[in-house]
Amino acid sequence: MFRFIIRRLFITIPTILVVITLTWGLIKLAPGNFYSGEKKLPAAIEKNIREKYGLDKPWYQQYGKTMWNILRHGDFGTSLKYEGQSVNGIIARSLPVSAAVGILAYILALLIGITAGSIAALKQNSRWDYSSMALAMLGISVPNFVLGPILVLVFSLSLYWLPPSRWGGFPSKNLILPVLTLSAIYMAYIARLTRAGMLEVLRSDYIRTARSKGLSEKDVLVRHALRGGLMPVISYTGPALAFLLTGTVVVEKLFALPGLGNYFIQASLNRDEPLIIGIVAFIAITLLLMNLLVDIAYAFLDPRVRY
Amino acid sequence: MELLLLIYCWKRLGVSVVVALISLTAISCSISAGNGAFFGRTVPPDRNIMRYVTGDEPESLDPTVSTGQAEARIYMALYDGLVEYDPKTLRPIPALAERWDINNDSSEFVFHLRQTGRWSNGDPIDVNDFVYSLRRGLSPELASRNAYLAYYIKYGQAYNEGAVFVRDAQGQFLLARDFAEGEALPEPLSSKPIDAKGEYSPTAEEPTPDPDSSFHQLMHSPQRITLPGDEKARNKFLDKNPKLKEATAGKQFVRVTAEDIGVEALDKYTLRISLAQSAPFFSGLLAHQFFRLVPRRATEQYGNHWTEPEHIVTCGPFKMKTWKPYDKLVLEKDPMYWDAGIVRLDELHFYPMSDNPTIMNLYKVGEIDAVLNHTVPNAWLEVVRTKKDYMDAVEAGIDYLQINVTRPPMTDVRVRKAFNFAVDKNAWAAWRKIVKPLTAFTPEGIFQGYNQPKGDQFDPERARQLLGEAGYPVTKQSDGSYSCPKFPVDEVQYTYNTQESNQKMAEFMQAQWKQNLGITVGLRNMEMKTFLSLRSKLEYKGFTRGGWSADYMDPFTFLSLFYTGGESGTGWLDPKYVAMLDQANRTPDKQKRYDLLAQAEKYLIDAQPIIPIDTASANWVKKPYVKGMYPNPGSLFAWKFVYIERDQSKWDYGTPSLSE
Repeated sequence: MFRFIIRRLFITIPTILVVITLTWGLIKLAPGNFYSGEKKLPAAIEKNIREKYGLDKPWYQQYGKTMWNILRHGDFGTSLKYEGQSVNGIIARSLPVSAAVGILAYILALLIGITAGSIAALKQNSRWDYSSMALAMLGISVPNFVLGPILVLVFSLSLYWLPPSRWGGFPSKNLILPVLTLSAIYMAYIARLTRAGMLEVLRSDYIRTARSKGLSEKDVLVRHALRGGLMPVISYTGPALAFLLTGTVVVEKLFALPGLGNYFIQASLNRDEPLIIGIVAFIAITLLLMNLLVDIAYAFLDPRVRY
Repeated sequence: MELLLLIYCWKRLGVSVVVALISLTAISCSISAGNGAFFGRTVPPDRNIMRYVTGDEPESLDPTVSTGQAEARIYMALYDGLVEYDPKTLRPIPALAERWDINNDSSEFVFHLRQTGRWSNGDPIDVNDFVYSLRRGLSPELASRNAYLAYYIKYGQAYNEGAVFVRDAQGQFLLARDFAEGEALPEPLSSKPIDAKGEYSPTAEEPTPDPDSSFHQLMHSPQRITLPGDEKARNKFLDKNPKLKEATAGKQFVRVTAEDIGVEALDKYTLRISLAQSAPFFSGLLAHQFFRLVPRRATEQYGNHWTEPEHIVTCGPFKMKTWKPYDKLVLEKDPMYWDAGIVRLDELHFYPMSDNPTIMNLYKVGEIDAVLNHTVPNAWLEVVRTKKDYMDAVEAGIDYLQINVTRPPMTDVRVRKAFNFAVDKNAWAAWRKIVKPLTAFTPEGIFQGYNQPKGDQFDPERARQLLGEAGYPVTKQSDGSYSCPKFPVDEVQYTYNTQESNQKMAEFMQAQWKQNLGITVGLRNMEMKTFLSLRSKLEYKGFTRGGWSADYMDPFTFLSLFYTGGESGTGWLDPKYVAMLDQANRTPDKQKRYDLLAQAEKYLIDAQPIIPIDTASANWVKKPYVKGMYPNPGSLFAWKFVYIERDQSKWDYGTPSLSE
């Protein structure tokens, strides 16, 4: 087990470097630059800017410098667009915002998703099953850029109960709508995955064995069925947590939250090279770590899995 | 009926369509339900706080860095300059300069500073702060994108470009006039020998001219020639000018330094700025963010970190309280400000936001007091326009199409004209509701006293005739439509950056040309930066979207888009046009200058490298209790005049008037 983790972590490093290199190359290939605007700059001013930021150097020197700073100091440099702001600082500042919304949405999705999915599986083909699965279908098919405005319309603009947007710190009323919007689709997926997983497990031999051995229904469900039935949910929620943590562009934009997702999309539109690389690397690391956690969780949940 | 439709949709298309329908119904209900005189909740905040959405996240709080309007509004709260924008007209009003003298051809300005100016840390402000700020702004190391605005200052451009003078063994510098190609332009008064009496007209406040100095005399000597500082570029330049190459042989190249530019401290509170040319609009330009004052000590000590909350020192009516990027910038009244007595707001809360519906939601629930310009979405206008807090005003900005004149068939002016004649701009304005149709290249009704030339009106008949003359005959089909089979449709496209309003405009133009010329121009949209790159490299064929907002309140801010090569993104550069602008700017009489500029504008629209579309509208909302804030042509607000009015009878019911 321990060796497995070490081995996986070891592979992570070259993976991240490849990701960074590819990102760097793609930015260089993209037309336009961070300083271009509606009026074309005089050539001399453009030259001053390129010298100031070292863009006049040959590509291998620029690449070397970027990589060296990342490898040596873990320093992704300074944002080109936001003068003087360090990329590490921006990530450190915006991550808590994304993480707060993401984790809350994740917990909510898990709680409601697993409960609804289990009930649906246990009472298959009942009213409970149909209504929760219909809601789940709705959750999957309504995109968050539709759900968000509807929630705002009802709870902010009509009822004046909740603020329509902006970050209000943690905890605050401002969190409610973004968390609901963000969790809907995950909730729906988890409910469906739980239902499918539970149905399969409930029909399996070991559950029949457990029942025939005279275990109480509660023990059968919680200790045996749920544990097996949640396997598909686990493999889904690992990467899902990574995405939730590192910010979701649409919800952050919709509710004007100063999170990582918002910065990421702006950085790409601004051609802000250091910031793009920093955020991509960060997301890649989080994603790889989450996948590792999923694999570890598998080992605990499923006795057949051995590393 | 609606229920049937819902059931039908449920069966045919599934849940999402139904949800979308329900939401649309709900949106329309909720918007039309707002039956008050104002849009949404209208309750003044408890304290004297103004909450405003500034637009995109500010790039920096250093006023020399950003070129954007979003930042300009923030800088206007934090920094003062020599002059400030008048809240109604945007004309320059005294700020840190109490008054100023302008010489007779507007090539030299003397500013008399007030002695009460102070930084937010209590340090006094004097002339050296201005000399430092201007030199810093122009320094190549700072690499400000706005530096070109200060190129009017003598040797300012040369310093910013890192250029060199040429000096001989006797210490004499080579002069520009000796190597001018063609007819040399007359030197402005600022470069002629000093004629103290003739240069400045005496006024009541200034009966005699300000004292002379050796630096002043140096400025008043003929312009020196400047060459590229980079050796490679210089040699390349000299190879093209054999006469100059010969003259520079064996001479010394001296780098243009910060001390060479035409900015001089006459005494502790008097600043003289000498320009390389006449620029009657220069005092108005000085209110621009680029010319606002930055603190020497903080900038030198902390480099590009000087704007962080713990280091920043400012000089405007407000100072920094807290700053959370992408979230909120809180400013508080600065008691050190020289005009603090007039400031009525205790705090200014700036929210950086860019999604228009999100901004409008916040406004509707009353969490903000005003929004930035161009914010009311098209679909909301029907309702919001009828409210008394809608700002119904035009802006000093235009929308137009750019034409790549370097690629056939657009090299033919008749073809360009035909496409202009074929667009019904009145129909466009009627559809867009808030803009005004435009046939010229400066916004209509903004510059008082400027007789804007009239361009060609909609005339589809003439358009077809011109196309025929150019070798692309338009024929009428049996069904009444037109076709132009010979026209090389593949060589013409309409390119724009992805945005809803741009798309609407593109589709409108496409329909007009199809209807009136029988030509279907392909549309192509792309992401903003890709678009800008394509346009500036002239890699597009046919048309692109263009737009420009005034940097300062003078027609020249628009006409100068075609002043130097390449900047316009059309490939059109005409020496005659440039000469016309030069001549106009050298004319001291304001009205005469305007007339000459109008002639140049006429020349430009006749050449038709552009198709004018409309004069933009301000299109924003503010709560009626926000007073002292006017929908001026640049949507730039001197915050020191803004206040919260609690007496309902004094509220603004409708767009406040801009007349003085």
